[in-house]
Amino acid sequence: MLPALKRRIQGATNKWLFQLRDSEPGEVVLVMRRVFILPTKAGLGFAVLLLLMLIGSLNYNLGLGFALTFFAGSCAVVDMLLTAKNLAMLALAPGRAQPVFAGEEALFELHVANRSKRDRFGVWLGFQQLGEPRNVTDVAVGGSSAVVLACPTGERGWLTAPRVRLVTRFPLGLFRAWSYWRPDLKALVYPFPEQDAPPLPMSGAASEDGHGTVGLDNFAGIRNYQPGDPMRHLAWRQIARHDPSVGGQLVTKHFDGGAVAELRLDFAELPWNMDLEQKLSRMTRWVLEAEQRSLPYSFRLAQHDFGPALGDAHRAACLRALALFGQEAA
Amino acid sequence: MNTPGLLTRARASLTRDKSDTLLLLIAALMVLAPHFLHLPLWVSLTSCVTLLWRARITMQGKRMPPLWLLLPISIIAMAGVYRSFHTLLGRDSGVAMLALLLTFKLLEMHARRDLFVVIFLSLFLLLTNFFYSQTLLTAGAMMVTLTVLLTAQMSFQYTGAVPPLLRRLRAAATVVVLAAPLALLMFIGFPRLQGPLWGLPGDAHSAHTGMTDTMAPGSVSALATSDELAFRVRFKGPVPDQSQLYWRGIVLSDYDGRTWTRINRRRLPREHIEIQASGTAVSHEITLEPTGKRWLFALELSGPDMDIPGQTVNSSNELEFSTYANISERLRYETHAWLNFRIHANATPEQLQPWLALPPGFNPRTLELARQLRQPSGLASSQAVLDMFRKQPFSYTLEPPLLGRDAVDDFLFNSRAGFCEHYAGAYVVLMRAMGVPARVVTGYQGGELNPVDGYLSVRQSDAHAWAEIWLPGAGWKRVDPTGAVAPERIRSNLAHALPQQAPFGFTPLLELENDPHSWLAQLRFQIAALNNAWNQWVLDYNPDRQRSFLEELGAAFGHPASMAGLALAAGLVWWWQRRRGQMQPDPLDALYQAFCRQQARYGVTRAPHEGPLSYAARLRAVPASSEKRAAMEQFLDLYGALKYGVAGAASQHRRAGLQKLKTLLPLCR
Repeated sequence: MLPALKRRIQGATNKWLFQLRDSEPGEVVLVMRRVFILPTKAGLGFAVLLLLMLIGSLNYNLGLGFALTFFAGSCAVVDMLLTAKNLAMLALAPGRAQPVFAGEEALFELHVANRSKRDRFGVWLGFQQLGEPRNVTDVAVGGSSAVVLACPTGERGWLTAPRVRLVTRFPLGLFRAWSYWRPDLKALVYPFPEQDAPPLPMSGAASEDGHGTVGLDNFAGIRNYQPGDPMRHLAWRQIARHDPSVGGQLVTKHFDGGAVAELRLDFAELPWNMDLEQKLSRMTRWVLEAEQRSLPYSFRLAQHDFGPALGDAHRAACLRALALFGQEAA
Repeated sequence: MNTPGLLTRARASLTRDKSDTLLLLIAALMVLAPHFLHLPLWVSLTSCVTLLWRARITMQGKRMPPLWLLLPISIIAMAGVYRSFHTLLGRDSGVAMLALLLTFKLLEMHARRDLFVVIFLSLFLLLTNFFYSQTLLTAGAMMVTLTVLLTAQMSFQYTGAVPPLLRRLRAAATVVVLAAPLALLMFIGFPRLQGPLWGLPGDAHSAHTGMTDTMAPGSVSALATSDELAFRVRFKGPVPDQSQLYWRGIVLSDYDGRTWTRINRRRLPREHIEIQASGTAVSHEITLEPTGKRWLFALELSGPDMDIPGQTVNSSNELEFSTYANISERLRYETHAWLNFRIHANATPEQLQPWLALPPGFNPRTLELARQLRQPSGLASSQAVLDMFRKQPFSYTLEPPLLGRDAVDDFLFNSRAGFCEHYAGAYVVLMRAMGVPARVVTGYQGGELNPVDGYLSVRQSDAHAWAEIWLPGAGWKRVDPTGAVAPERIRSNLAHALPQQAPFGFTPLLELENDPHSWLAQLRFQIAALNNAWNQWVLDYNPDRQRSFLEELGAAFGHPASMAGLALAAGLVWWWQRRRGQMQPDPLDALYQAFCRQQARYGVTRAPHEGPLSYAARLRAVPASSEKRAAMEQFLDLYGALKYGVAGAASQHRRAGLQKLKTLLPLCR
């Protein structure tokens, strides 16, 4: 109870203090008001040093000692200003984000543009929730730099980019300036493709050939390995002849189905007692497998009913429907 | 193969890490270099060798020495410091330890934190150099070193591309230049305390040359060869004549046949000394160089009291002034002096007894001479002695012959050559032998006025000894027997009174040096003025000076006229800034922005990606009165034409269009 309260209070304070806001559409310019600054550990050490220098100058009555102490102190103040200015007035804009499968890292592309008259060095970017930023970039005068930030994904659906923290310590490292920005950017997260999924349902309804193992019956040659191919289909004999470490490629045995090649992926035909996410997961795997094997497939999920087709557009439409199942109304 | 090629290749072969580390090593060397002047030789050598070792490690990309090697080395070094200084806690030993620590730390740099430690150590070591030197040159070197240190620190902060060294140096110099105004403000305004905060170690102050409180033949002439500064004086009013510039210091009354010393205090209780002064007081400020002793010097006759903020000043019956503690820092004080004065005119014979005593059994021929010269009045007796000095072949020299047991006899009858202390001493002995109370006063006489800043410099070579005799009704009266022998000494300075040797045997050089209008003399005055300003304003900017300066500043700024001027200047800056801020956006864009803001209030916010056409289409869908709709339509059309059309380029069109937009804007509400 108490820790939860504390967290909430802390969250509210942070939100108020650092003006944390929701995603902002379009380009955002980091005005000075959005830049926060505090001394680093080295900066605190420097303060102690200044104190020691001041005491030394006082004790020995060193006129020049005072001059050096005040100069060094003023340099720290100038550093503070320059560090804040190293971040301020940078123009931030969201870039693109490619769809990914759940469990993979979503990559968000961000653009940092510098329209001021000063080069910016050592600007660190990272998602706030992931701790200290690990991506760093320089932005020259009038230039722009693209940074790709990775964020782990969990659930399918739209993943909005989390809050980004920009940090800089340039030029002297005595101060750390930071700023927050939530880019208006989202990535589509496809369901996780089920592992060890049952084979493709080669004809939705019962066919003459009988049950579902059609499509794996007749050996029809080998082809290059593609991610997702089951281990047991690897053509070990051929692989052994071409050692992958010396340039050979993994190859997979390819099986032809029976004569009946109508592949229909229908959500409704999956067992009714299966978990929803698992069903989506299986459908995803099947879409991938069908694409891989270039088997035209039709797809049915709720209101989506795509005729038999093949290719990136078809694949993307199917996966998108799977990803957003149950969320589209929103 | 030419040098630039070599340089380029050398630079290309240096990775970033290496060049950064080398820069740090150079900065450390710059910090250490001035210390080599006073550090023990072995410390300097160890530091250099360690720096070279570190440079080699960097260049060859080798590993740093392990701790088990570094630790014993540093312990041995510490023992060495103890052996050299016999302590680890003194000032000089502390500096030596810091220097060694810095170089060893460079060998033990692993993380970013260590870099800061090295930079901070360097900064502190830079400060410790001021124990030894605080000249203008040192200040210049400090600024350069600070810039290089900042460059080194900055170099480690780059994460991607690193600009060339020159640009980094320029960036660091920019930081320093930007810091200057604030540093100046802090220097002037930061509250100063009167140090020291705690007792200084014994080696904090080194020996000084200067006036002592005894006088034997040769003690003043030893000072006369020193060109060192004794004190500087600034007169508030006109500078008195050179022959009036007697800087009274110590009064010597006891004579044991060889050495003059101050009177035995136990014999002389503190009394009230009556001073009658006439004329206007000469107000002057003296900046005394550290003497390591307690004596203060001031224009004769200052007093009877002297007040120095932060110091306890004692004054004696003979009108000498001294501080409670030895003067180890430059000391500034202000006094008023009267050129016409009478001291203790109504003294009783008992009170004058101490100034008639002579050591028995010394100088029989002198006593005999005194009997011959004796006149009825003290003044006439004095005149007789001075006449003797003037008429008989006495000479003034820096290198007098050695004197025997009866020093005054020897001087008056054999050598007849001496410096001011010989004349003053002999004169006082003669006067006492004639029954006139007399004593020796030591101090300085004269000084050199610097026409550049109006300060009078008094050097050790101006050290002087003269005499005082007591005359009934007139009190103690100054008599300078040296003036009888070498009037030049009093009128100008020592250099003119002594026979001169031309430098390198080249007479024109001598003339150049002595002529106050020659370029050499002018240059010398300029440098002296610069040094003095440096001392006055930077090195001796103490709490007292700070207070008076801030008061002056306050008075200057408290004046209504200057306040009005400041307000006007601030207003102008503000206006200019505002104007510049307003000028920046295109008026057309500003109008469009205003329009968008206006419409946003009605719920139709322009999306960032939306152009005027699509926005207009969206706005059309919103219910509104027909006038408003027409105005909006017109506004957007006109905006599009001005912004993107060909007609927009022509300036008249543009101006008319802008005017039209302005009138349309309120209609769209």
